[in-house]
Amino acid sequence: MLHRLESLESCNYNGMGVAVLERQAASLKWQQQNYVVQHNNLVELCASSMPQLQGLTGSNLGSGQMVELKRPEVFLGSDDFQEFVNFPVAGAEFGDSEKLDMVPPEAAADYCISRTSSCQMTALNTSVMKEEREDMILEKMESTTGSGRKSFNKRKPEAVADHKGKNKRIKGEGEPEVKTKCSTEISRNSSKENSKASEVQKLDYIHVRARRGQATDSHSLAERARREKISKKMKCLQDLVPSCNKITGKAGMLDEIINYVQSLQRQVEFLSMKIAALNSSVQFNVENLTMKEFPAYVANFPAAAKLPAMASLPYFQLNPLQKESVNCMLNESMLPPQTATEGIASASVSISEQSLSSSSMTQLQPFSTWNMDPQDIVPGIISNFKREYNFKCHYSPSYKTYSNDSDSYHS
Amino acid sequence: MNKYNPPRMNPSSLRSRFATRFLRSLSKINAKKPTASSSSPTEIFRRYRRIKVAADKSMAYSVRSRRTWSRAMLWKLRTRPCCRRSVKTSTIVRKTRHEKQNKNTTTTTGEDGVVFGVEADELRELVPGGEAMDLYNLLDETAHYIKCLTTQVQVMKKIADFYSP
Repeated sequence: MLHRLESLESCNYNGMGVAVLERQAASLKWQQQNYVVQHNNLVELCASSMPQLQGLTGSNLGSGQMVELKRPEVFLGSDDFQEFVNFPVAGAEFGDSEKLDMVPPEAAADYCISRTSSCQMTALNTSVMKEEREDMILEKMESTTGSGRKSFNKRKPEAVADHKGKNKRIKGEGEPEVKTKCSTEISRNSSKENSKASEVQKLDYIHVRARRGQATDSHSLAERARREKISKKMKCLQDLVPSCNKITGKAGMLDEIINYVQSLQRQVEFLSMKIAALNSSVQFNVENLTMKEFPAYVANFPAAAKLPAMASLPYFQLNPLQKESVNCMLNESMLPPQTATEGIASASVSISEQSLSSSSMTQLQPFSTWNMDPQDIVPGIISNFKREYNFKCHYSPSYKTYSNDSDSYHS
Repeated sequence: MNKYNPPRMNPSSLRSRFATRFLRSLSKINAKKPTASSSSPTEIFRRYRRIKVAADKSMAYSVRSRRTWSRAMLWKLRTRPCCRRSVKTSTIVRKTRHEKQNKNTTTTTGEDGVVFGVEADELRELVPGGEAMDLYNLLDETAHYIKCLTTQVQVMKKIADFYSP
């Protein structure tokens, strides 16, 4: 506390008397009890408060009492200092409306609280300082600015604009800066109310809390918020990319991500080359396989796809079955999962029997009546037919029922 | 009653959308090709290019314009030199507007810039449309792009396996 006094003294006061010093000491003591005030911020605040003080003289300060406690030290080299010096001396002149006596701390706190609540809380919507160690709080300043906001706003916010150092907002504008000033000076006691009030407002500011030992200027806060967002994103990416689990550094992870994306792109190229090569050998008409293929694909995933048997009926208007297709189906590795393999085997057997006998459509009808999982087999069979015979089947709209149910894999 | 109810595909999932479109385009490609020698390397290469474009296009269309990378990819595909379709000016205007919106010229200061300088540029080259994005959005787009790429690879793998002899 002494150092504060010394610092004050070192400032370029004009006509600062001992009495003023004493008052300052008292106010400092009072403040010390309640707030953590940093010297440099103090200086900043002082400079910024100049216009406020000017406004104060003319404004109706309901609880302007609080301000006075601060005044003397706040004003450093201000022209109005003289005025201030007079305050304690001639309190009466100050205001017919107000009494500018020293208010006891408890009352001061109360005033502050009332001030903050009356301060339209627009101020508070800023970075809400809830209980914090490093809050730069000048309660009275806030009350001052709250009350004198009208007059303050008349002054150009430029005065405040310089003091973004105190502002923990990331966006700074004229009005909000004023409000920010208010908010930065919220007292610990009223921080909760402030926070509540601030939430009511709808300015989309990024609330950042300065932690102990960290710089509190707006730039570093903005940087920190950005960094946190980015690290969150990196964590999400870590889950996506399978190889990232062991790597902990950001750079390493980013390298892994780059490698993974490159490998995926190369895989796409390779697969498209493979399909192109396939096309030459296999004449396949995939027009209508869209929905049918899917269940087969899906079935290869742990969950099998269910296909309504009824929908498969239209597909039986195909070319006659032939042994080769049946064999293909038998050998088909793509066919659906374990649950259906038995069905496939039995189905294929009966199919082959039927195909040997005749190529009649109707012989395939029993497919649909089977109670096992012919639904899983059907797409495989059908696609085999198509593959072998280049057959154009009418795309049955009823097939869309395949995909009506939700799949656990839907992305 | 032992009713076996295996789960079905979600028709609106990315995978189903992509697969539908891709298969349709594959069939178109097949229909287009002449029945002449289709096993010559040049033919195969040409088909490969077409299929790759079809795959990218299907994926981008499945995502619509919801993502920057899909928009960038669609725009790139539309303005390919070999593309005979005339590109509407409205599309270009829309695209430039998108680009302007996406351009956040934030310089990565602090440790971020140091850490991500080189890698971020590489990532920007990989992800379509990444040149005009700041790091946070770039990571966001990368995540979605990776998800779509994995879907694409899975579906194409299945198709390739299905039709392989």
